[in-house]
Amino acid sequence: MESNEREPAEADVPQAVPPIDPPVAAAAAAPVPSARPPADPPVEPPAEGAAERATPPRVPGIAGLSAPYRVVTALALAVVGLAACGHLALVFLHVAPSNTVSKQHAQTVDGWIYPEFEQNWKLFAPNPLQQNIAVEVRAEVRSRLGGELIPVGWRDLSAEDGAAIRHGLLPSHTRQNELRRAWDFFTGSHDEDNKPIGERGELSEQYLRRIALSRLTDDGTGARGEIVRIQLRSATRAVPAPPWSDEKTDTQTYYRELPWWTL
Amino acid sequence: MVDAVRRAPEATPAVARARAAAGRAVARVSGRALGPYQSAVVRIGFSATWLFFLLREFPHRGELYGPDGPWSFGLAERLIASNHAFSVLMWSDSGVWFQTVYAVSVLSSLLLMLGWRTRATSVVFMVGVLSLQNRSVFMGDGGDNVIHLMAIYLVLTRCAQVWSLDARRARLRGSASAGAAGPVLWGVLGAVFAYGAVTEGFGLGWLAAFAALWVVGALWWMVDRYEPEGEGRAVLDVLANLVHNAGLLVIMAEVCLIYATAGWYKIQGSRWQDGTALYYPLGLDYFSPWPGLSGVLAGSGTMVMLLSYGTVAVQVAFPFTVFNRRIKNVLLALMMLEHAGIAVLLGLPFFSLAMIAADAVFLPTVFLLWLGARASGGVRRVLPAPDAAPEAPEAPDAAAAAAAAPADPSPSPR
Repeated sequence: MESNEREPAEADVPQAVPPIDPPVAAAAAAPVPSARPPADPPVEPPAEGAAERATPPRVPGIAGLSAPYRVVTALALAVVGLAACGHLALVFLHVAPSNTVSKQHAQTVDGWIYPEFEQNWKLFAPNPLQQNIAVEVRAEVRSRLGGELIPVGWRDLSAEDGAAIRHGLLPSHTRQNELRRAWDFFTGSHDEDNKPIGERGELSEQYLRRIALSRLTDDGTGARGEIVRIQLRSATRAVPAPPWSDEKTDTQTYYRELPWWTL
Repeated sequence: MVDAVRRAPEATPAVARARAAAGRAVARVSGRALGPYQSAVVRIGFSATWLFFLLREFPHRGELYGPDGPWSFGLAERLIASNHAFSVLMWSDSGVWFQTVYAVSVLSSLLLMLGWRTRATSVVFMVGVLSLQNRSVFMGDGGDNVIHLMAIYLVLTRCAQVWSLDARRARLRGSASAGAAGPVLWGVLGAVFAYGAVTEGFGLGWLAAFAALWVVGALWWMVDRYEPEGEGRAVLDVLANLVHNAGLLVIMAEVCLIYATAGWYKIQGSRWQDGTALYYPLGLDYFSPWPGLSGVLAGSGTMVMLLSYGTVAVQVAFPFTVFNRRIKNVLLALMMLEHAGIAVLLGLPFFSLAMIAADAVFLPTVFLLWLGARASGGVRRVLPAPDAAPEAPEAPDAAAAAAAAPADPSPSPR
């Protein structure tokens, strides 16, 4: 909500400018007509068609307006200019590394940027991800017939995503982003012992659980009975060092196991 | 103004020159909506990307943004309660509402691409993009992020001056606001807005923004209809030009910020320094749809090093080259090629399309005119237009010039 309040930031600015602007606008009156034709002829605004009327054609821009409107539009020019520059400055501070100025104005910057102007362009930077993180799930199902618990072994959900992505020109977000980002969200909002940090931790847990469950029901695990509890783990394996380099990379698989979640 | 400077050289020539320059700048930014072709190509690029994306994900729409997807309505409600993101999908958890919003988002993308009632459709497009993306933030990637920002910025621009149904209507009927569709659309959007306002579906900022857009829309239509030559219309034109030019500046600066951030952060990475960075994404299961192809590229250490260094160099350099036409155009072509490669190799077609659409804001007018001529020539060959020809000679606007472009002395090779 805070991020959309453009008005306060702009409202108190224009007062400083009016004394300067009208003369500038007046100075603009002379050069405009002569500057126009050579610029780029195809881009004339359609309003120009009024040439045959009795009234002379209006000079485009502020210079063609009467004095009161010149003041109004000059004010608008100042407001719009300052708003654009202000916005860009805040976006810059948001994407730049934390620095003296951005720390000083952290509240202003965050207040403006979040949620709609949030952005992150550290694409494969500072270093690209160098490991495959696969999310796997296993479950316990209560059989429909006898009511006994049937264990269902580890299933690599990321491998299924990978298979769906392979040999397609248009991978779906449901395959490329859903589980991958859900896991990022989970690890980012949990500590080493898989304890949630704040509300986001709790949300990410439920999200991950719902994804896992929907995948399990999709493939028929659910049809075998009622899913009683599930467990997730991640399997992290480093991408081996390039064949041409003499680097040694440990390509063992490391697991991070989450506790069982009872449904 | 050269005379003005000469007449008073002894006084303060520097001041006079600065004044004249400032005057020219004011005349420029208030007199015209600059970059008509560039803003049009950005409009078409982003609306087409989003349209393409929505159609591709149509079978998965419920899983991505629906009330019963893994990121359920309840989860979204809790997250949005804390971050106040804008989404009309939060107005109701009914499936019908979700399908309606998705359908309207598809429709608005199509109409924005065609440039139909662009002032209104650009707002609906933005609402669609923000509503769907904010409903399920964890489904998106960098491409969604770019579309999100540009959807907001596009509302500010007069992006339908050329290559649009609005420009065509203006050419054929004298005014872009001719016809009954404008007022009807205004009424419908007003009703939706009123509903949102009454049920407190908007934050304060959005409430003010939409109210302003709605009022200005009505004002514009009335002035356009009743005194098209009057001063009121001229004032609105000036204001619209100012906002457009600021919006275009923001779009250009945003593209520069994207590349600068992407480039400068890479410089600090050891893998970009040792020239192996590109090798690693090629080995990630989520980003290697064509393992054979990735393997071939990853097999050549020299290629990987050159491409890694080239990527960083181009990204870091680009913002500084925008003032030099020739180098800028070369880098632009390189970046578009690289994104086309990323689309296939890393399986990121929508991210790449979005980035190419963003890059397009820097394409030279000459090239865009040439492209437009080729496109309209192709269209003419497929379906001969009956009514465009007689209007063309006296029609002053750019769309007419573009439509007549096969006859134009085009400076580029055909």
